[in-house]
This record gives sequence, C-alpha cells and structure tokens, in this order.
Amino acid sequence: MFKFGIRILPRPEVLDTQGRAVEATLKSLGHSVLETKVGRYVQLSIEAKDIAQAQATAKKVSEEVLCNMLIENFEIEVLK
Amino acid sequence: MQANLSEKLKTYRISQPEYEKICDLLGREPKGLEWALFSALWSEHCSYKSSKIHLKKLFGKSKRVLQSFGENAGIVDLGDGEKIAFKMESHNHPSFIEPYQGAATGVGGILRDIFTMGARPIALANYLCFGEPKAQRMSTLVDGVVRGIGGYGNCVGVPTVTGQTHFDPSYNENILVNAMAVGYFGKKDPICLSKAKGVGNHVVYVGAKTGRDGIHGASMASESFDDNSAAKRPTVQIGDPFYEKLLIEACLEVMKKDLVVAIQDMGAAGLTSSTFEMAEKGGVGIEMDLSQVPLRDSTLTPEDIMLSESQERMLLICEPKNFAALKQEFDRWGLDACVVGRVTDDKKVRLLWHGEVICETEPEMIVSSAPEYERTYEEHQLKWPIKKAIPQKGEGVLGDAKMLNTILTSHHGGDRSWIYNQYDQRVGAATANDCSHAVGVVRLQESHRGLGVVLGCRPHVMRMDPYFGGIDSVVHPSLQLATYGFEPLAVTDCLNFGNPEKKETMTQFVAALQGMNTFCQRLETPIISGNVSFYNETKNKNVSPTPSTGLVGLRPSVENLPHDSFYKENQDVVLLTFGSSWFSGFLGEITQATSDGYLEKDLSGIETFVKKLTLASQEGLFASGRVVGKFGLLYALARMSLEGMGAQIVCDQAPFTEVFYQILLSTNDVSRLSKALLSENVSLTAIGKTQKASLQWNEHKWATEELKNLYKKGWEASFAQLAR
Amino acid sequence: MRKVGVLRFPGTNCDRDIWHAVEQVGDTPQWLWYQDRFNPKDFDSFIVPGGFSYGDYLRSGALAAHAPVMQSLKEASELGYPIFGVCNGFQILCEAQLLPGVLMRNSHLRFLDTMVDLTVINAHKRFGQKLEKGQKVHMPIAHADGCYYVSDDDLKRIQDNQQIYCTYVRNPNGSVADIAGVMNKNKNVVGMMPHPERAMYEWMGSCDGQKFF
Repeated sequence: MFKFGIRILPRPEVLDTQGRAVEATLKSLGHSVLETKVGRYVQLSIEAKDIAQAQATAKKVSEEVLCNMLIENFEIEVLK
Repeated sequence: MQANLSEKLKTYRISQPEYEKICDLLGREPKGLEWALFSALWSEHCSYKSSKIHLKKLFGKSKRVLQSFGENAGIVDLGDGEKIAFKMESHNHPSFIEPYQGAATGVGGILRDIFTMGARPIALANYLCFGEPKAQRMSTLVDGVVRGIGGYGNCVGVPTVTGQTHFDPSYNENILVNAMAVGYFGKKDPICLSKAKGVGNHVVYVGAKTGRDGIHGASMASESFDDNSAAKRPTVQIGDPFYEKLLIEACLEVMKKDLVVAIQDMGAAGLTSSTFEMAEKGGVGIEMDLSQVPLRDSTLTPEDIMLSESQERMLLICEPKNFAALKQEFDRWGLDACVVGRVTDDKKVRLLWHGEVICETEPEMIVSSAPEYERTYEEHQLKWPIKKAIPQKGEGVLGDAKMLNTILTSHHGGDRSWIYNQYDQRVGAATANDCSHAVGVVRLQESHRGLGVVLGCRPHVMRMDPYFGGIDSVVHPSLQLATYGFEPLAVTDCLNFGNPEKKETMTQFVAALQGMNTFCQRLETPIISGNVSFYNETKNKNVSPTPSTGLVGLRPSVENLPHDSFYKENQDVVLLTFGSSWFSGFLGEITQATSDGYLEKDLSGIETFVKKLTLASQEGLFASGRVVGKFGLLYALARMSLEGMGAQIVCDQAPFTEVFYQILLSTNDVSRLSKALLSENVSLTAIGKTQKASLQWNEHKWATEELKNLYKKGWEASFAQLAR
Repeated sequence: MRKVGVLRFPGTNCDRDIWHAVEQVGDTPQWLWYQDRFNPKDFDSFIVPGGFSYGDYLRSGALAAHAPVMQSLKEASELGYPIFGVCNGFQILCEAQLLPGVLMRNSHLRFLDTMVDLTVINAHKRFGQKLEKGQKVHMPIAHADGCYYVSDDDLKRIQDNQQIYCTYVRNPNGSVADIAGVMNKNKNVVGMMPHPERAMYEWMGSCDGQKFF
C-alpha cells in the first residue's frame, strides 16, 4: 500500500475567491500577510504492485475526480 | 502577407467581408488594439448582427413601459410609485464547459444588469434545458449547473422563486442555462442609465480587479461547439457572489446619494463594450488610461484588459466633486473605486497605456456600423391547419390512463424538488409562492401587492411547430399568471437557437418571433428586454428552437392566492376549454406513438379570456386552479392531487392529448364561475368533485399517497447518483 | 419599546428581513456595523442575522467571528444581555464560542431550503418567551452548513443543563440529537438554524416565527 498527499490549489491565473476574502480579513486584523491562497488537501492510500503504478493511479484520480483542471492545479507528494 | 491576414481573421473571428467593411470605415487596415475591439463588438453576441433586423419589429411599448431595449434591462411602472426592472439572459456555452462557474456567473451577470439600473434584485428564475439523463456528462452538468445557480443566488441573497427544467436529446451536447432577474424600485429609488454625460467628468472603475477571465469569451459564444472546444477554452470566469453582494450594496447606496451620472456593468467583452457603449449612447468621447485599471495579474496587456470578462466589475461616470464621497462608500464595503479616465467632447474613445495613446476610434463607427445581416429564411407554414376535433377516449398510449404511472416516474413528469430545494427561495422574507408553485410570487415592499413571475416556452411545442410554439411561449405563461390572479404586464425573452447561417434555423427563429410578437401585442404585454443566443449547435446538430420567456404580473395582494392543488373537499371540478387547437403532445412524442393535431393560429378571444380569468381569480371564484400543460388532462389532475385531496372525474377526453388551452379549477359555485368566465371560444364543463385521498378517472383509481410516491421517484430513477 | 441591535457583516443577507420582523412585533431595530464597537447599555438585546458573512469562505461564520463588533458582543454576553443568532448568525456565535458546538456541512452535502417542523425543548427568556415546552412550530430552513455537532460529553452537559432550544421533528441535515437550536450555559445567548423571520405571516406559509421575536 502506498500513501499520497494531494495538494489542490486554484490556478494562478484564476480568481481565488476564498483566498481574497480570507486575505482581506487577515489584513484587517492587522496581520502582515501579503497573499493568501485557499485550496484543499486530500490523502489517498492506494493498493498497487509498485510505486510507479500507484503514482499513476494517484495522478489519474487527481486529474479526473479530485481536481477541476480548468480552474485548479495539484501536486502529489509521497507520504511515509 | 495573405497567409498572415487569414490567420489574423481567424484569431479575431472576423469574416473576409467584415474585414473589408472595417477597412472601408477606417480608410485603412485596422491596427493594434483595433482588431480586438472590432472582434468583440462585431461578434454575434455583442452586435446581434443576425437578429437585429427582426428584433427591431418587436412590440416594446405600452403606457407602463419606462425603459425597453437599449439599456441594461427593461423597466415597467407598477403605479403607486413602484417600478420593476427585469431581464433574462443565456449562459449556455460557458455552462457546458464548466457548469458550476458557467451557471454561477450567468446569475451574477443578470443580477448586475438589474442593480446597475438602481433596482434592488428581489427575485431570480431560471430556465434550464438538459439532454437525456444517460447522455455523456449529463449528471455532472445537471449537478454543476444547479449547484452553481444555488451557490451564487443563495449567497448574494436573492430568492429563486420559479424555474423550468426540460430534457431532450437535442440538448445532449449543448445545454441551455437561462437566468432571469427582477429588481425593485421603491418611491424614492432613482433609475440610473448608461448614457455617459458631462465633459470633464471622471470615468470610474469599481469592483473586482481585472484578471485573465474569459478573454475572447464574447466571440467564443458566437461559435458552434466542435470537438476542439476543449482546446479553445479561455480562462474560466470565476464568480464571487460575496463580492457581488458588496457591490450591490455599495452601488445602490451611491445611486441613492445621487453620486452617479451613468453606470454600466462590464459583461460580455468587458471594458470594451462598457466603454464604447456608454460613449456612443451619450454622444461623447471617453479618454481612458488602461494602466490605471486595477489588475490581478500584472502581465496583462492592453488587449487583455480590454477583453477580460472578469466578474463583479462596473464602469461609472461621476462628477469630480462627488468622487471623494463615492470612494468613501466603496471603501466602506471594502471595494476598489479608481479614476481611469474622463469624459471628453470629441466623440472619440481614446485609449492610453502609461500616458501614451495606443488607440483612438469613434465609438459610433464601431457600435452603430456593426454589420446587420438579413440571413436567409423561408416563410413558415403552420402545421395541421385542417380542423379535427379533440380526440375523445383516444386509442393507444394517448388513451391509456395507466400510462400516468410511467409519466410520473420519468424525469419528464417527476418531481423537481431536488433542483429547487438547493435554491434559497425565501431570503428577503417576501416570498408568497416558492418554486413548488406554477407561478413564483413575491410581495412588493411598499404597496404589499403581489408580483407574479413565470417562465414560458415548452420545447416540445416548439418542436411541433415554431410559430405556434412562439405563441405558446407567451400565451401559456399569461394564462398561468391569470389563473392565480396576476394581470400579465410585460415579457423578457432569451432566444436560444442554432446556427443562423442555416436557412432552417433562421426560418424557425423568424416564425417563433412572429408568433411571440403577435400575441405580445394582442395581450398588451410588451417585450422589454432579452437576449439572443445563436450557434447552439454541436457537430452540425441544432438544439430545439427554444425562445424562453419570462413574464411578470401584478395582483392587488398576496393573500388568498388560489392553490395549485386541490385542498377543499366536495367542490366541483371544472374544466375550462379555450378554442379548439390540440396536438398529440409530449407523450406522443417521447413514445413516438403518434403525431397529430389541429392548430388555429388566431386564438380569437384570448385577450378577453385572460382578462376575465384574472378577475375571476382575484374575486376568489375558485379555490384551486391549474393550467393544463404537458402530458394533458390526467397528468394535471394527478399534480393537483399530490397534497392528499383528490377528485372523482368522469370525462371522455383522451387523458394525455394536449389542448391549447385548458384550465382546471375547483369551485363551490359553478354558475357564478361560468357567468364570470364564459366568452368567445370558451366552454366550461363540470367533470367531477374533489374528494379525500384518491383520484378517480373514469374506471381508474389511484390513492393520492400512491401518486405522491410515484411523483417523488421520478428524479431518482433518472439521476440515481445525484439523489443522495 | 425595546431597542434591538442588529449586526451586519459583509455578506449578511437576512439583515433587512430581521429588521422588518423586529419592527413587526413593535420593537426598534438599530444597525451595528461589523467594524464598529458599541456600548451594550444602549440596547435591550441583539440579533445576529443569517446570510453568507464573508461568503462562507474558510468555514461558515469563521471570519465574521473575528470582526471588531464581536468584541462588543462578547462583552454584552458577559453582562447577560439576550443575544439571538439565526442561521449564519448561529454559525457565527458558535465560531465565536458564545455557543457550544459547531455547524458542519449538511449530511447530504447540499444546500437545503424546505419547510420543517420543530419542537420547542426549552424556552428562552427573551427570544421566544411566548413559546411553551413541547410546542410544535413550522418554519423554513435554508442552509448548507446546518449539521449541528457536539461531543457526547458536551451533549450530555447541554441536555442536563436544559440548553437545547428546539429540535427537528424530522432531522433534515444530520444534526446530533436532532438539534436545531441551542443556548449557552447562562441561557442569555441562543442560536437556531431555521428562519423565524421568514414565517411572520400566513402568506409566507406560517406565522409561527412571530413568537420568536
């Protein structure tokens, strides 16, 4: 079994509505925050014969299900 | 050189003859930014070049109409100092690409059209057409569109009070998402227009920063889908209803304080259309430095800035002395407001980039000289002109009462609450009828009168005959308003058609528009706003012609509205029949069993009937009422029996034939009702009595509980993965 | 005539509805802007209306809970002033820890607008004086994040201390113990997901909401 973490964030050119609202609030509370991006984090455990196959599955589900590729990007990290 | 030009024409989606016209107008080749400006403003979406010739003929005036086409939305005077603004618009192409954001930004855009005029949005409605449930991506599209509409409307705090959803294979690869918004002016609320005025006044940019959203969106909406649609997607426009809510409050506040000379939202083709249209309407010039526009992405070029369709932005004109007060109000709501230019007297739009002139054109030339095409069409011949009587006890499926079970459990005839329960229908605390009723009703804030909102256009009637379908798009919703006691006032429309370069499409378009227009005139319900959406075709297949309409009506109060369902026991059930037109209907179509009918295009006496019905309803002459629609009489009776009160009916008419028009009423006083309603072409028959717990149709019988269970099952049967 | 402070955050959208409800029962509403502080002594009580403060971003109510006006509201709570949160107002009061528990995404993961029946469990001394224990009332809900959650220990505590305000007759959103509304330990602060301000006249489908103001 292989474990992955998928970090999903809005694409840089796409408006991040949540990030904008959170950023404004943090600034108004006096915190010296320059930029805020809000995304999601998903953990997956995958049954596969080797890491390459597991990674391929993680990529496929990220592209097809977890992430809306029109507006979001993702990064996969391997977890221990 | 030649190859270079054809490449450019392709990029900017300008045809060879249009290119020649541009060269003629300019006296030279277009250069730099001009390409982008012509591309946007001469697109079908912005210029209405294929439809303008026909739209000019529309009936748009009445003593109540204060504003019709040419502004962001039409305005109707309700008397007593109250007015409403309303409009419907399509967002079909973006919703097919990214359903959540497409639908959400559709709602956002139509709301801006309303509050730009100074009206507070009080109601939303949506008209949706989807493909077959089994079609590719359809579940995802339905889910995304419904979530998107809810996500935006709920958050911005405007109730969705009515809607329609249709399913047909012609929408499999081109869904329709049309949103309507209604706004309210009280006695003290000013109307704001988009005409730029006052040389030396500031041009002010307010709202969200400009990003890459939807660059070239307007010209994309003017093309058909093909397999490469995925590749030519512009950056998806993201809607932020929270931001829009702030923008509504800030804009209404500065308008009330009289700080605004003119205002327009940045919709299709963003800053380009707002700048050029405001200047052109005002007969003035505008000088604007694009480097002053607030940006989300510092790498945007002037062309990107002019074409960006970032949401929640407005352009307004304000006197320099008022700018500080205006900015203070926007600051209070946490929104940007900055001066980007000024009004000039030379009737030119001059665009600067860091102080340097990069483009100078006459708005009149681009806006008013946009091409107008007389696309080829044929005069339409009405189907089935030879009189045949309404079938009695029809044969085959149309006569088989047991088909009711199949209809109720199908996505065509089943419950739609899965959709509308995801919409906030009551925010504003003024909703008297929510989406579960045929007509949505909100109470007007100052006079406490009722405003009825209803949508029209039944695609299966359009598929039968586009002229008659056009008539029906106006008459059917008018009868619905009248049944609940609302005097129909005015119409907005959203004309969704295929490729206008095809004769078949244009023939449908012209026929539908003629049908609608004739009856708008007859019923004195002018068409005061709307939009045209062409190129709803994929791989050469057009969608069903779909001229959706939105009607509003007025009632003296919201108390004692007739119910949609039976609720009083032992009342007479009365069938009102107007005229003698009929057809084999939706059941005939989907079972492919039969296609037959008789259509009479005059509907002589309909005006009187609508008036009498409105009055009879207001006088409380019936307790329950329903206009018989798709699937005919028995289906309407079943829908009226879902709340536990049914009826015992004896009737010879074929149960599923659709008649233009029939209305079911329940009353204590048939003779008073007939005295009030009988007029030219109207007949009235008592067909039974209301009774508890069951519906009987001749020898057939259903428990009301059973009908309700069947009705509730319809959605799950087709969209199992969505229904929890 | 009682003066009722009505809080407004960016994104609040039931503020005007609450205003009308307060007026309808003969009281005097006054706006309290999220950036401003106030003196509790100037008021009889406070209402935090529903809507989508800050677009419901991050978590419903989470950003509003940190606004300056909430500092004053906390002081008012400590002084024992009656405070009523409706829908998003309930979420804000939970996020500000003026009420126990938290409101999570509805169990079916969708926004839901529908009429519900409620059972009154414990009356509040100011908002709902006219209600009786066990009474049934009818009004709409309209929310995506209405699934009330508390730990088992806390549930027992609020039950024992009679802090449950009202429950759903048929649970629409997965709330623990069918809870639709709760009070704080001192029973001056109360919050509920259903919208009494949308049930003020027969033409709205119910006028049970009048009893809550």
